[in-house]
Amino acid sequence: MLASGKITAEEAERLLDALDTRAASGAESVPSAETIPAAQSAIKGDATPLLNALPKYLYVKVDSVDGDKVDVKVPLALVRSGLKLTSLIPPQAMDQINEQMTDKGISIDFSNLKPEDIDELVLALREMEVNVDAKNGDKVRVYCE
Amino acid sequence: MPPLSMWLYVASPGHRKVRLWLPLFLLWLLLLPFVVIALVVAVIVDSVLWIGGQRYHHYTLLLVRCLELISDTRGLVVSVNADAPGEDSSEVHVAIS
Repeated sequence: MLASGKITAEEAERLLDALDTRAASGAESVPSAETIPAAQSAIKGDATPLLNALPKYLYVKVDSVDGDKVDVKVPLALVRSGLKLTSLIPPQAMDQINEQMTDKGISIDFSNLKPEDIDELVLALREMEVNVDAKNGDKVRVYCE
Repeated sequence: MPPLSMWLYVASPGHRKVRLWLPLFLLWLLLLPFVVIALVVAVIVDSVLWIGGQRYHHYTLLLVRCLELISDTRGLVVSVNADAPGEDSSEVHVAIS
């Protein structure tokens, strides 16, 4: 299509990116000139694939050898909302918080946290898994799905 | 959407088991007038602060985000089962849906 002049080089590049996306999602149809607008809409910000990829819950499971069991399921939307809330803390309070956190060795500035950073952080949590097998037989598992 | 109900189950040896289903939607209905008043006040305060040239005038957004935080507790589940040797197990289950 590029050779015949139907699309420009930039459009061809975007179409190839869309093909990669569609191949990853298992689509069988071959994009044609008619589907380019659909592909472009996918590139320009169709959030559905991203939302489907984001983990939804944080699970904490503790299985103690004494017979104690703890299961906690926390919606990650709660974590996202909490992080978004930090961006609205008044500047005077935020300065004090940042100062205290820096004193403790944590140099994170929550006021600079953008929504895309939060989504990236939550997406990265999908790969997080903590498995602890203690010597006395206690098991702890933390993961997101 | 805020959580509509909460299940609470508490069982400990020597005490009566507690099984509660709390219709949180009724609580939100009761709180709705107060939330509306709070939002109106927040909008007025933000407007006054903005006109006065204050740097921080986001109390309305802060209130909305707090309400979003409450809404996002849907799906929270906490389940604790503690076994004491020689005694019946204690259980606590909380589920918000």
